[in-house]
Amino acid sequence: MSIRVISPAILCLTLLTSGAASAQQTTTAPSAPSMQSSDMESLKQQMLRMQSSLEAQQTRHQREVAALTAQVERLHTTIADLQKSVAANATVSAAAKPTGTAPAERPPSGAADAAFPTTDDDVVAAKAQPAVPAKQTQAAFPTTDASVTPAATPTAAARLTGPLTIVGGAKTFLNISFDGQFSGATSTEKHLDTLEVGDHDPHQRGFNARNVELALDGAVDPYFEGFANIVFKLDNNNETSVELEEAVMQTTTLPWNLQVKGGQFFAPLGRINAQHPHAWDFVDTPLVNGRLLGPDGLRGLGAQVAWLTPLPWYSQLSLAAQNGSGSTGFSFRNRGDGDTFYGRTTVDRQLGGAGDLLFVPRFENSFDLSATQTLMVGASGAFGPNDTGTDQRTQIYAADFFYKWKSAHSSRGWPFVKWQSEALMRRFEAGRGVDYTFPVSETFDDWGAYSQVVWGFSEGWTAGLRGDFLHMQESAFTDDPERQSRWRTSPNVTWFPTEFSKFRLQYNHDFLEANRFLASGSEDSVFLQFEFSLGAHAAHKF
Amino acid sequence: MKTRRLILAGLASVLALVSTADAQLNVVATLADFGAIAREIGGDHVDVSVLAKPTEDEHFVDARPSFVIKLRNADVLIEGGAELEIGWLPPLLQNARNEKIEVGAPGRVVASQGVRLMNIPDNATRAAGDVHALGNPHYMIDPIIAKTVAQHIAQTFSTCDAANAALYDANYNHFAATIDAKLQEWGKAMLPFKGANVVAYHDSWPYLAHRFGITIDTFLEPKPGIPPSPSHLAEVIDKMRAQNSKAIILEPFHNRKIAEKVAAATGARIVDAAQYPGALPGTDTYVELIDALVSRLTVALGGQ
Repeated sequence: MSIRVISPAILCLTLLTSGAASAQQTTTAPSAPSMQSSDMESLKQQMLRMQSSLEAQQTRHQREVAALTAQVERLHTTIADLQKSVAANATVSAAAKPTGTAPAERPPSGAADAAFPTTDDDVVAAKAQPAVPAKQTQAAFPTTDASVTPAATPTAAARLTGPLTIVGGAKTFLNISFDGQFSGATSTEKHLDTLEVGDHDPHQRGFNARNVELALDGAVDPYFEGFANIVFKLDNNNETSVELEEAVMQTTTLPWNLQVKGGQFFAPLGRINAQHPHAWDFVDTPLVNGRLLGPDGLRGLGAQVAWLTPLPWYSQLSLAAQNGSGSTGFSFRNRGDGDTFYGRTTVDRQLGGAGDLLFVPRFENSFDLSATQTLMVGASGAFGPNDTGTDQRTQIYAADFFYKWKSAHSSRGWPFVKWQSEALMRRFEAGRGVDYTFPVSETFDDWGAYSQVVWGFSEGWTAGLRGDFLHMQESAFTDDPERQSRWRTSPNVTWFPTEFSKFRLQYNHDFLEANRFLASGSEDSVFLQFEFSLGAHAAHKF
Repeated sequence: MKTRRLILAGLASVLALVSTADAQLNVVATLADFGAIAREIGGDHVDVSVLAKPTEDEHFVDARPSFVIKLRNADVLIEGGAELEIGWLPPLLQNARNEKIEVGAPGRVVASQGVRLMNIPDNATRAAGDVHALGNPHYMIDPIIAKTVAQHIAQTFSTCDAANAALYDANYNHFAATIDAKLQEWGKAMLPFKGANVVAYHDSWPYLAHRFGITIDTFLEPKPGIPPSPSHLAEVIDKMRAQNSKAIILEPFHNRKIAEKVAAATGARIVDAAQYPGALPGTDTYVELIDALVSRLTVALGGQ
């Protein structure tokens, strides 16, 4: 309405100013000693044109007003009809229910025998209010409130044009969040980066910043959503390195319960591999993940299809295909530090065909054991070539298990108990390296597991205990310290002042088994981790 | 090839059977208040499942994988919007792959649309606690707003199941008429306590205060989502004494011990309240919930 009133006014203003401008031009024309009659004539013509256009505007405006009035009248009739039907309904309900308070006989309009309002324009908009207007109410308590429900009839049109809640926020196209994770460390091992197996784990005594990440996500368009995670790390010389951890686009509503994603992403192998460090319950990576999947976890460039099966419980099958190259494809086409892996000088294997890609299938199922208990089990594998020879391959098999109990009266999510376990087995065909320079080819059957329990015992507080075990098949030919069997025990306590900050104290006891080349040993470490997150409210996957 | 095609055809027909076996609308409500109203509007024509338990903190619900299945099969999703479910609903919807309930689809009800939210912060900063940038999302406790949401739900049911539109409309009218009549009762009961100061654990009651003219501006939490500290509680106790506050509203998941301490120090009574039908005994419907809240509040405030 207001726009309609304003626009003619603006039009008049523009006309006036343009008129004034032309008038000014006329007066400032130096060549004319007096105003020429042609000028006068054109000015007059202009004025006439302005007048007629104004008149046309007015007529149009009047027509619009008339149309609007008619519309309002129609609305009034609708309202009256609605009121009648409401009244009839009230009568019916009153008749049907002896306890109903709506009287069968309506008092004359304006009569106020009821004191409590049953409308409130403060909460629901009055304009399109379908409910009974004050005049007709037999009650004094308002039943409508435009101050709380401004558009009382959310018509289909209103819904579609209304503000839509986009995942993560109503007014942005992009959710941005920033997460800084730091840890102070002390250890009996001088070189902590040889003891800790993950790239985001503390790497030195003193302070560490191994995972400071920027996460972006949002709806790309009606068909896709996008997500990117960029990690900044400080190395032991305080030099910054940047890693494009993930950047993927994913379909939203494909038919047949399918979902496809593509880009750089974590392979769906087990449970913790695809989780970002801020979602971990411990400071560091489990031994088996760090040694069999690599310090960065198994991730890479590729594509993935996931199918939610029609079974009545949560059951999903997925298959990812990735390049499986470099340090994030650790057990696959990875040339290793200094082009050496498990003692072999590695071969630069290029993709020879689809068969040389890394394939990661996964089958996961979840069951609600009760209203407060949930179980999730998964089986996955990873299959692809490795760089220790020209036709060597690696197979990884993994099983994971996650159980959670959460109180039906939980406050901020507490109290709860989580139990998570994973077991991984790897068959690694180690070749003789480039030009058969290594004396033998071997097959390593390596395996390991971890199991962790986290108890959210009091609001904002958790206590955790993790046990780690790693068995690396002994070899007479390689002294690689990464092939040392070992185990670890880690108790910890975490305090979450809010969901946006946390402090974690963890103790690790490491035991390393002797082998042909390396002596046994035990190490003790203590970590104090602190973390903050800014920006978009993170949603938590199960 | 032939057998494979046969198997596929078999699978497809099984799927078709499963999907047409019942003509009921599959409705998923994130919270129990929407669920209760959806049942009243839809009657036998809808099959309603509710995700969050009525007794748990609705800000922190686990995104259980079984919810993905419920959402996948949904014809209608009713959510509160206004970032109430932001911590758990987005990943579920991401996994559900259901175009019927995607943003802007007829089956998606964002209940906060058409509601003017209270307490929208001018400057949203988490220094003020876990604030809701779009306004306080606990609006369903206002019966007038509940009517509007009920109408929104009825319209959606009518769009998705046109054959029963008249029934949904009639059920809505019945619900609205019941609320209008009940408002008289509730208003009368609350009238003697107009202006009374009531304390709450968390700031989830501004709409109730607005409706019935009571003041709820003192909270055991120093800031939304921040646990009570001893110094803050001491201030609350002083304020309650000065204002002669007689009631402390407590939700099922809040720390009762803290409220009991404050109650003992001030002589106020604890009102066991809830935002969601089903959280208090005998409150399966929305009207029963407000009945219970009004009667519990009036008992506490009346000091009988």
